Amino acid sequence: MNFDGKIVLVTGSSRGIGAAIAKAFAGEGATVIVNYVQNVDAADEVVAACKEAGGDATAIQADVTSGEQIQALVDQTLMDFAKIDIVVNNAFKPYTFDPDNRKQFWDLEWQDYQDQLDGALFSTYTMCQAVLPALKKRTQGSIINMASDLVARPTIPYHDYTTAKSALIGFSRNLAMELGPLGIRVNCVAPGLVYPTDASRKTKERIKEMIVAQTPMRRIASPEDITGPVMFLASDWSRFMTGQTLYVDGGLVMK
Amino acid sequence: MTEAQIIKTLLDFIAADGTTDDEFSPLALEIFAYQFENNIPYQRFCRQREKTPRTMQSWRNIPAVPINGYKDLTLSCCDPEAAERIFMTSGTTKNGVRGKCHHPTLSVYDTSMITAFRQRFMQEHTKLRMGILFPTEQTMPNSSLAHYLALALNEFGSDGSRYLFNDDGLDHEQLFAELDRAEQTGKPYALLGASFSFVHVMDKMSHLGKTVSLPEGSRILDTGGFKGQSRELELNEFYDLLEARFGVPRDHCINMYGMTELSTEFYDWGNATCPSVKSGPHWIRSQIVNPLTGEELPKGDKGILVHCDLAHFNCVSSILTEDAGIELDDGFLLLGRAEGAEAKGCSMAVDEFLKAAQG
Amino acid sequence: MALRAGYLPGINANDVEWQTLTYDRDGQAIEVLVPLLSDEQMKDLSGRIKEVSRQHLKSMAVSDITATIDAAIARLLDRNDTYRQQAEEYLPLITGYDAEMVRLGLTGYLKTFRQSELRRFVAEDFVNPKILDEFQPLPKGGYGRAYGPDLLAHIWAGNVPGLPLWSLISGLLVKAGNIGKVPSTEPLMASWFAHIIAEIDPKLGQCLAVVWWKGGDVDREQALLNQADLVMAYGNNDTLHQIRDRTPITTRCLTYSHKVSFGMVSKAALDTGKAWEVAHQAAYDIVRYDQQGCYSPHLFFVEQGGAVTPQEFAQYIANELDCFEEKFPRRSLSIEEASGVAAWRQSEEMKSFFAENNAVMGDANDAWSVAYSEAEEDLAPSGLNRTAKVISVKQLDDVPARIAPYKAFLQTVGIAAAPEELQRLAGMLGAVGVTRISALEHMTAPEAGWHHDGRFNLLDLVTMTEVERSAETAAEAFSDYVD
Repeated sequence: MNFDGKIVLVTGSSRGIGAAIAKAFAGEGATVIVNYVQNVDAADEVVAACKEAGGDATAIQADVTSGEQIQALVDQTLMDFAKIDIVVNNAFKPYTFDPDNRKQFWDLEWQDYQDQLDGALFSTYTMCQAVLPALKKRTQGSIINMASDLVARPTIPYHDYTTAKSALIGFSRNLAMELGPLGIRVNCVAPGLVYPTDASRKTKERIKEMIVAQTPMRRIASPEDITGPVMFLASDWSRFMTGQTLYVDGGLVMK
Repeated sequence: MTEAQIIKTLLDFIAADGTTDDEFSPLALEIFAYQFENNIPYQRFCRQREKTPRTMQSWRNIPAVPINGYKDLTLSCCDPEAAERIFMTSGTTKNGVRGKCHHPTLSVYDTSMITAFRQRFMQEHTKLRMGILFPTEQTMPNSSLAHYLALALNEFGSDGSRYLFNDDGLDHEQLFAELDRAEQTGKPYALLGASFSFVHVMDKMSHLGKTVSLPEGSRILDTGGFKGQSRELELNEFYDLLEARFGVPRDHCINMYGMTELSTEFYDWGNATCPSVKSGPHWIRSQIVNPLTGEELPKGDKGILVHCDLAHFNCVSSILTEDAGIELDDGFLLLGRAEGAEAKGCSMAVDEFLKAAQG
Repeated sequence: MALRAGYLPGINANDVEWQTLTYDRDGQAIEVLVPLLSDEQMKDLSGRIKEVSRQHLKSMAVSDITATIDAAIARLLDRNDTYRQQAEEYLPLITGYDAEMVRLGLTGYLKTFRQSELRRFVAEDFVNPKILDEFQPLPKGGYGRAYGPDLLAHIWAGNVPGLPLWSLISGLLVKAGNIGKVPSTEPLMASWFAHIIAEIDPKLGQCLAVVWWKGGDVDREQALLNQADLVMAYGNNDTLHQIRDRTPITTRCLTYSHKVSFGMVSKAALDTGKAWEVAHQAAYDIVRYDQQGCYSPHLFFVEQGGAVTPQEFAQYIANELDCFEEKFPRRSLSIEEASGVAAWRQSEEMKSFFAENNAVMGDANDAWSVAYSEAEEDLAPSGLNRTAKVISVKQLDDVPARIAPYKAFLQTVGIAAAPEELQRLAGMLGAVGVTRISALEHMTAPEAGWHHDGRFNLLDLVTMTEVERSAETAAEAFSDYVD
């Protein structure tokens, strides 16, 4: 997979899965826009790692829940690079996966759902609207949205988080239908538990072991495990695939 | 980099003995960044091609503006009003519009010309008595060729060198006087001018039954082609005639390939065989490309010539010509204009349409 | 193994000079032998054909001729027939067009020459087709009979497979003797057809010939021009000019020059449900034979105000062209053809710098280009080889006035519009010189009997011999039963 000369925008890539994705693309020659919201030091580290890996990168700050900031992010990218090839919508509203301290349904407010929808769906929706003019002009492009395997199998019902991710998959499929005739593909990658990330840092060993026991590949994913499928969907190797969701969780979910 | 820094760097670069690709590319990319930022129409062109300084790795990828672009766009980094000199393209105009190249200073152009000319035309001579078959640059202030020849005369012409043109055109009297004088003194002589002027001169000499035998070491420099200005000759025929009329052997007849849209010229090492191999100094590089994709073609394949001329810093370094060529180890072969193709069916092609619509 | 083009009845192959044309496509080289007749041979051949045409052809019934042509076409439609198989194998290699495109294109094209269509062809031009066989009463009185020329010379151009068949069949239908000169770019189809005709009906086979000479060989050309009663010529304006100039003044010369055809899309066709389909149809017309036909669209005027904007429509077309590249890859271009496309693209790019929304879509690496413009643009050809322009217009009614100055280049307009619009636009377009209005996806597949460039395919070829009423009346007095 050669991403030489490709411009890849990854939201929320200063840490965790996003950072791994950014570095992986850079390792294949891409130029990555490392978007972050606060942690400028971490973002700069990712940029440095990308350059070392053989690609190029630049860090641009933007809060993905702000429409204005997303537009500014896209404008800046086009100003510097004249095009966008690939968008990975990875950033989401911070969520802690704590099975022992999760909110049960009757303790949730609609606002909890709304917050997650704003984090996962609104940001992706706004990003897609913002990059679409640039993608449509070239009649090619690949959008990859990060979902979750909890959508298919909520082993632990994180209602607000997983509902938003479910909506994200429906959103992606409809967008795939609309954009297919324009040469633009939209797909999702649905990881399971990924360790270590901010969201999973507090997950207890007991939970991890329970998941491992049910996972055919008998381990938990690292951020690096997620990068391959993302790059696959971004590359020409998947050029005839759109509207798909790839479950990357060691076989825990088979769909 | 500022304009002043670019100029200084270029002058130093030109003065160097030779430069490798590793030295050429970084400077080319710096100049490209400068042009991208300061030449807005060029920036738009680059954006259309999805190229920015950020993504540029090598001089080979610098977007080459097609030569016609000079007619459609004002390609200048400096304020056009502030230019020291403006050279305008000759040839076919588009709605009467001629392409313009603005030079904020002629220092780089002149240094480029003088350095290469010394090496490629003067060679073992420091000065030569010269005759110029072209109008002065006062008469043609927007002609780059007029300026080029004026430079040659001023820098390298020994006493007595002169223009062989007056207000009515070629001054045959003076020309023949100079030729006869050279023959008698036995000192090498140089005749420089437009190719079509040579055709006119030789036709006149043929009419008069005149030939001369210029002394050993004499040189001829022709440039520009014949189209529309004189009868057309095959290259071999042209150089045979030069040898016959002037007594200058074909390998001392040097053709200069240049254009208004560049600040550097190409030469061959004589025209003993045609077409000759053309090459330029170390601050200009050429590529043979597919005109549509811009992709470089392998050595030996016929394609369209792209030149990356660092000296042409105020406009655009990289130009896509309309000339076909083949790359060789020591330069390239110039194969003439690449015409557009006619449709293979009954669908109209642009050239034919324009002709019909104007007529 | 070299293929042989040409069809020369009554001439021994050994007596003719043969030249070899080589076609080099993506590594495969095909050689085709083409016959170069001397002036004497051309004169003799012309004489023989004229003779047979007078003696035999003129006394054949048109229905017999259509039956023979139908049988020949049936063979070419039959995928198991050797000639058809040769066509499918070699035409793609010689022309460079995609093999699938050639196969589908041939079948579609040949279907318009089956007997049922040929009858339509004849009926289109002749109210009473019997007038080609025998004297028929004329509406004005007296009798008339239509005679085709003894020798119809065809000078064909271009490489769209099978195009020569159109005029050749037209010539046969009016019982003309035919000598056709094939283009170097595709010398085989006409030759094969002639051979098949000869196999089915040997006598008819003596009434036609297929020859060749190198483009620009004016002497060879003159030899045929001097013998013909009627000349049909195809090519660019310069070529046609000099053919017409050198045709004797007493010989009629019909010329078919290059055209710029285009499409029009109404906002009625641009709703969210149907717009893509329309774009697909438009793209198909662009892709057929890489736009080399006179009926191929160079540009599309697309109306604002629909749910799908003209810009989006252009983007749909762009993607469709991308998809068609998978199905019918464009043939590889020579450096000259690539220069032509590059020049057009670059010119469109320059224009896009001055206007916000104008754009050129497609990579330079793509086998297609779509330019989009919101400016008031005039009719102009594209760079061909799957390059097209989409021009956004306020209303389609504005278009006819805009294209009116280019009458000489107008031919086909493909329209996607509502019925009332179609009628209205047809009137306006006809008034400025458009001669054919079709649906999109059909621009490059004219119906049998279409009026090529608005002319009459068969009527233009014949002369009418009339027996005036005065002659009839006068003869009455000399009958032996006069009272």
